[in-house]
Amino acid sequence: MSSLGDTFITIFGIVLAAILMFAFPLMSMSDRTDDIVTMTAQTATTEYVDDVRTRGKITMDNYSAFEQRLASTGNAYDIEMEVKVLDENPGKKTTQANYTKIGENVYYSMYTSQILDAMNANGGVLTLKEGDMFSTSVKNTNTTLSQQLKNFFYTVAGNDTYAIAAQHGGYVTANGSGK
Amino acid sequence: MKIQYLAVVFVIIMLPISLIFSAYTGAQVDTLKLQISYDIKLDNATYDAIKAFQLNTINSSTSDLTNSKIRDIEAAANSFFTSIGTAFNMSGYNSEVLKEYVPALVFTMYDGFYIYSPFENTLDDETAQNLSQNPNAEYTAGEKVTGLKPYIFYSCRYVKSGIDVVITYSLDNYITIQGTANGKAINDAGYLIDDVSTSGSNVYYRGVRIEPEAQLYEYVEDQEEDKQYPYIKINGAKYYWDQEYDSGNGSWFYFMNGERMYGQDNFQLGNNDMAYRYYREAAEFKDRILNEYGLGSLTSADARDENGQPIANLTDADGNVVYNFVGGNYNIFDFNNGGVSIEEPTSDFNQHRLAVIRYVIERNLSIALANYNNYGSGSYEFSMPKLAEEDWERILNNVSLISFLQGLSIGGKVYNGYSVINNNKNEEVVTEDSIYITTNDGYFHRATERDLIGRSDIKMGVFNIDFERKGVTNNTQGQTHYYYPKRELGCYTCYVSQTSVQAIDNIYEYMDSNSQLAKIYYTALGRERYSMYKTFRNQEEHKSLFM
Repeated sequence: MSSLGDTFITIFGIVLAAILMFAFPLMSMSDRTDDIVTMTAQTATTEYVDDVRTRGKITMDNYSAFEQRLASTGNAYDIEMEVKVLDENPGKKTTQANYTKIGENVYYSMYTSQILDAMNANGGVLTLKEGDMFSTSVKNTNTTLSQQLKNFFYTVAGNDTYAIAAQHGGYVTANGSGK
Repeated sequence: MKIQYLAVVFVIIMLPISLIFSAYTGAQVDTLKLQISYDIKLDNATYDAIKAFQLNTINSSTSDLTNSKIRDIEAAANSFFTSIGTAFNMSGYNSEVLKEYVPALVFTMYDGFYIYSPFENTLDDETAQNLSQNPNAEYTAGEKVTGLKPYIFYSCRYVKSGIDVVITYSLDNYITIQGTANGKAINDAGYLIDDVSTSGSNVYYRGVRIEPEAQLYEYVEDQEEDKQYPYIKINGAKYYWDQEYDSGNGSWFYFMNGERMYGQDNFQLGNNDMAYRYYREAAEFKDRILNEYGLGSLTSADARDENGQPIANLTDADGNVVYNFVGGNYNIFDFNNGGVSIEEPTSDFNQHRLAVIRYVIERNLSIALANYNNYGSGSYEFSMPKLAEEDWERILNNVSLISFLQGLSIGGKVYNGYSVINNNKNEEVVTEDSIYITTNDGYFHRATERDLIGRSDIKMGVFNIDFERKGVTNNTQGQTHYYYPKRELGCYTCYVSQTSVQAIDNIYEYMDSNSQLAKIYYTALGRERYSMYKTFRNQEEHKSLFM
């Protein structure tokens, strides 16, 4: 009897040892990796968005460089861009009708596919104007090692959750030749 | 030892390692995050400052005069510190403290730049003594003052056998030449343009005939409703003709602090020939440079620094040569060099112009930043960061503000950042992009809109800031009235969102294939550039041309 008990304890011990010696360090390492990758993605996104904001244009070159920089982290990403285009015309009409009033400006949005279409149609460049708003958000679409391990051990991460996310946005400040 | 014990020992070793590693990564991530957040704050404050400058210049009729400009720039610098102070307040820095960490703000203008930084207020003995006896004196000798240093022009000296001249460049192709050449004193200024031909009184530019335009009109705030007045813009100031003034005798007026100043000189009403004069005078200027002064042979190797030594080559952050002064491969006045006109972006002149501007800014700025160490209280050694090439490109082609923020501690390291924000929506410069085209359907368009080609209802070219809202404060009622000088609305495919704009590097080449548009565009470009304020001009003499 006691030998059976010993065997159980031994098996339990081996499982526990395997978890403690392999799974724990692996999870800890992969979590750190995700942190660092998130930081890289955040830096890349911020730099990309700020570049667009200060130069006043989105170029294919820049966009590809941004994509490549993200890809170098070893994950696949879903990049969503949005331009909130400032339309001053309604405000202008209000002021022209009543000289003491500043009319309200209107924004409408262009999303990733529209932005890419417009860039392609314009020779790889979409120029923005001062006052427009540009934002980009990035999420990973693959499952990172850390997510896989978590799924395996305690199934917290569902299919829709992501481990790496970054976003940044702001006003377009440039109004110049955009060179 | 049982395997369980092994595991426990392993965990005892691994757990602290993992914790330390995680804390270290966390600290690094925090530092980076802080750096990014500081970058954003600096960008935003810089934008606020240049926006303040833009608003002030658009709403002021005297913004191109030096004292007004200094006032506007000081206001912009104040906005910078207010804005950055607000942004950093949560981190415990207020604007006064932050001044210690901002070694310089650089405002690049049309033909030179201002540096806003601390300096020692050096006074002559007499003034110093007078001030010391005055209990209400604002300044004392030798104190540290933060303010604008004198304007530095984008100038370069050239020395060659028989030639010793200083050329001042600008953001476009306007230059000023002073000095002596071949025994003759020179003091001249003008636009460098190729391909202008004259036959009799006709002027052609790139094959397009430039003719006087019809009288220009724009809206001006009036008591109840905006009214259109005929106007003329001379040396940066707009003069309007009010036919109803003085019981129908009429008078010219201009705006000063929101008030109409009547009784101005009597200018001629009728066709506007600014563009015609622009191209004609440019042709004469070219002739003087080449034939009268004989400066055609100047090359980049003749450029000299302040000690009279040849200027060394410009290098980028990695030490690669970005502009070769020494080799002298660049002819400065390279009129019609291999089919490239001097005003085109790829011409030798343009390359040289950009190199000189960069050299002047880099040199003066690095001195200002190095000097800052004498005023800074901390132990941080301030130095000029290497600016990225794309930032230089923006600085050299636009009116811009460069701000520096150095010496703040961000965890593991010390922050050393800069921000460049450019903005041409002001009275400083007319760039090739600043000309919009109006059509009869009440919209304005960018000149490079694809749908504009072949349209038959094109009206005229307009300087872009005329589409901006202006405000006039009525002193008696204390109410601000807003108006738009030009009432056209922004086109939806080329201005509001720019989905139908052709990306081009060289607008001159683009216009060559659209001659109908080219005529309107070149006329407007010439008109607006010629109407700009120029320091070189004798204002009274220039005004008399239009009386």
